[in-house]
Amino acid sequence: MAARPQIAIGFLGTQLDQGQGAGRWEKWRPTVSLGQQPDLELARIELLVDFDRSGGLARRVVDDLRQVAPRTQVRLHDVRLADPWDFEEVYAALHDFLRGYAFDPEREDYLLHITTGTHVVQICWFLLAEARFAPARLLQTAPPRRQDGRSAGTWSVIDLDLARYDRIAQRFRRDQADTASFLKSGIETRNAAFNRMIEQIERVAVRTRAPILLVGPTGAGKSMLAKNIFALKKQRHALEGAFVEVNCATIRGDGAGSALFGHVRGAYTGAAGERAGLLRSADKGLLFLDEIGELGLDEQAMLLRAIEDRRFLPVGGDREVGSDFQLITGTNRDLAQAVGEGRFREDLFARLNLWTFALPGLRERPEDIEPNIDFELERFARLNDERVGFNTEARQRYLRFATGPDATWSGNFRDLSASVTRMATLARAGRIDAAVVDEEIARLRRAWARGGTRDGAQVAESVLGEVLPPEALAAIDRFDRSQLADVVRVCRSTRSLSEAGRVLFQASRERRSSVNDADRLRKYLRRFGLDWDALTGP
Amino acid sequence: MNPLTIDGAQGEGGGQILRSALTLSLLRRQPFRIERIRAGRAHPGLMRQHLACVEAAARIGLARVDGAHVGSTALEFEPQGLVAGHHEIEIGSAGSTLLVLQTILLPLLAADGPSRVRIHGATHNPLAPSADFVAEGFLPLLRRMGANATLSVERPGFMPAGGGVIEAVVGPSSLVALPLEDRGALRDVRIEALVCGLPREIAERELGVVARRLRLRADQCHVVERPRSEATGNALHAILQYQHLRVVVQALGRRGLRAEQVAQGLCEDVRRYMLGDGAVDEHLADQLLLPLVFAGGGSFTTGRPSGHLESNARLIEAFGAARIAIAPAQGDPAKTWLVRVDAVR
Repeated sequence: MAARPQIAIGFLGTQLDQGQGAGRWEKWRPTVSLGQQPDLELARIELLVDFDRSGGLARRVVDDLRQVAPRTQVRLHDVRLADPWDFEEVYAALHDFLRGYAFDPEREDYLLHITTGTHVVQICWFLLAEARFAPARLLQTAPPRRQDGRSAGTWSVIDLDLARYDRIAQRFRRDQADTASFLKSGIETRNAAFNRMIEQIERVAVRTRAPILLVGPTGAGKSMLAKNIFALKKQRHALEGAFVEVNCATIRGDGAGSALFGHVRGAYTGAAGERAGLLRSADKGLLFLDEIGELGLDEQAMLLRAIEDRRFLPVGGDREVGSDFQLITGTNRDLAQAVGEGRFREDLFARLNLWTFALPGLRERPEDIEPNIDFELERFARLNDERVGFNTEARQRYLRFATGPDATWSGNFRDLSASVTRMATLARAGRIDAAVVDEEIARLRRAWARGGTRDGAQVAESVLGEVLPPEALAAIDRFDRSQLADVVRVCRSTRSLSEAGRVLFQASRERRSSVNDADRLRKYLRRFGLDWDALTGP
Repeated sequence: MNPLTIDGAQGEGGGQILRSALTLSLLRRQPFRIERIRAGRAHPGLMRQHLACVEAAARIGLARVDGAHVGSTALEFEPQGLVAGHHEIEIGSAGSTLLVLQTILLPLLAADGPSRVRIHGATHNPLAPSADFVAEGFLPLLRRMGANATLSVERPGFMPAGGGVIEAVVGPSSLVALPLEDRGALRDVRIEALVCGLPREIAERELGVVARRLRLRADQCHVVERPRSEATGNALHAILQYQHLRVVVQALGRRGLRAEQVAQGLCEDVRRYMLGDGAVDEHLADQLLLPLVFAGGGSFTTGRPSGHLESNARLIEAFGAARIAIAPAQGDPAKTWLVRVDAVR
């Protein structure tokens, strides 16, 4: 194994390497100490010297280095500085030197000696190394504890690649875990896909201010996540302004432009005063536009402008105003489809669609239901100063239902939150028992049976999506979907084809116009490529 | 020849193991490979002072060397011959010129022509024999064994500046063992206080303390003033002339250490030696092993053996150069030990 030659590059200051007569050897002189280290052998030292200021000093340093390290070559480079404390001048001088230097990083290792020179020189060396203008690591020398001439002090190499330091890397991992937990409101979620997504959001949120698009069904936690991202960035001093949240579905129509972009006095009848608008309120902060798909086309155009130029015109105004905000948008609709249908601007979608994260609904994260229940109980305790818990049996019963096929969780976390809050409120002596759980399960079933917050078509689609491949589902008319979905539900809630037939054809049976319900049902299902086993199978 | 593999982490003194291995390798034309050099230390691997020795040895042995760089934890050394002649070696402040000289001295005695070696660097290091120790103690003993070698200090050089020069003149020699089991009666004591670029008063204060504590006459105490060298320095030596051998005890001054403290340190070391029964002191014992191997065998008495002596002996045996017995001598086993070297021909 051959050693790679080590080259040190340093700036000779006017102070630290000074020393007269024989006594200078008892003094720590950082540049000279480079030649006295028992465990460092430099092939070359490139010394930047202002000959006007330090010519004599340089000659002595070179002589002394030759004496203590005869095998180290020392080369002087004249660098004249009018003011070695002037950042611009020093940076330019060092940058010029490095640019002109024939680095051969394939063969040699370079060390920038940062201990000598003015603080400005040190700062510039650091910046130049960090920006990779010099393929070098930083070399630091330090005086011995006692300057008795017996030790040349110490030296150490600072590698700016932080990943090389175990303790720093550990700290980063810890910070990252803390941040991820922060984004999840401290909930110990177990769903691997969700946790992976949070890690990605954490990286994106910490590093960029580019727009983020959160896609997911109602109640999947978009708003909470946006708030947490804001709080995280505020904590990291990446944002100074406020968190401004608006649901675009609530500002449709004439007032929408004014609400978002503000208006000037007298912009329209009734506009007696000036209004800043939500975009300006979010200046230097974070604007969360939920249900972005509901935004009108005019507002979409203005928003695009505001994102691209950070400037926009208030309603009725003729002078642009500026606002610099981080934008997060949320939608439960397929925006690409909306673009296809001409309801959403393609260019705006392209801007928003840079960092898109799909938040799964609660049904897709059954393993996260339990930690979320605990989180809701904690929140209840915080809000009401009352700690409430489940009986073991009650907890199991509720969990079995919550993670089972009957729980559609159509309102996702919003439903779960409301459900836990109801049970906690009805709990006696701080315990949620089986009776409370049973009542709550019945309540949820009724709510979901009413269609919950979803319309019939959505419900039918999700039911059929579980038994049919997407292409088969796409081939079925909406006209047929609701009927088929209801048939599927009945099949799944009965024990046999015959029983399902009896339920489905009850009216006909009473008129005795049907004799073989089961056969009729079997034929109906076959039309869609389905059979009893496929519906009720494992 | 297959290289001998040496564990550089064994025993004490990683540097000394390496230097002895270099000497033996040159003398016996035996290639070796040393591994785990200074393993387990804060800065493992070769340091500059070790490299200085490797390079000097490689020069006079025309050796093929692999792994000779600072921080290297494995080194291969394969000598091809021995070159007498003039060698100018610069080691800067990388260790001691005397340790470099000791590494190559025996091989130069074994070479077939005269040599003159000038080594530039430090002549008085805290953890190495000083130039005076070698010139006044070690070399006279070797000359009595038959060595044709002299040493002069052209200019002293102190750490951390270095800047000194020693010159050794060496001619082809064969050594014969001397009986060194009895030091005999004390004939004379001479104290030398060296000052270099420092006030003479420092030397006088040192001599005052030594004269009083060791009850010496004024004519036994000498101030040696050397022309101002690069670095300032001070060294104090006691030269104890016994009937059968001369022993040199050294103490180095340094900044922050008062002249009186330097003198007291010397007196304690002198007393310790005087109270012992062994002929050879701890430092010389260590350095005598290889010359005795070269001389074909021999023995000496010394105090309780140091870790250095033990690991040096084991290394010599590993090279197959000698069998070395270290055992308590008759008398007080805590005080006197007999070291016996039987060279393997």
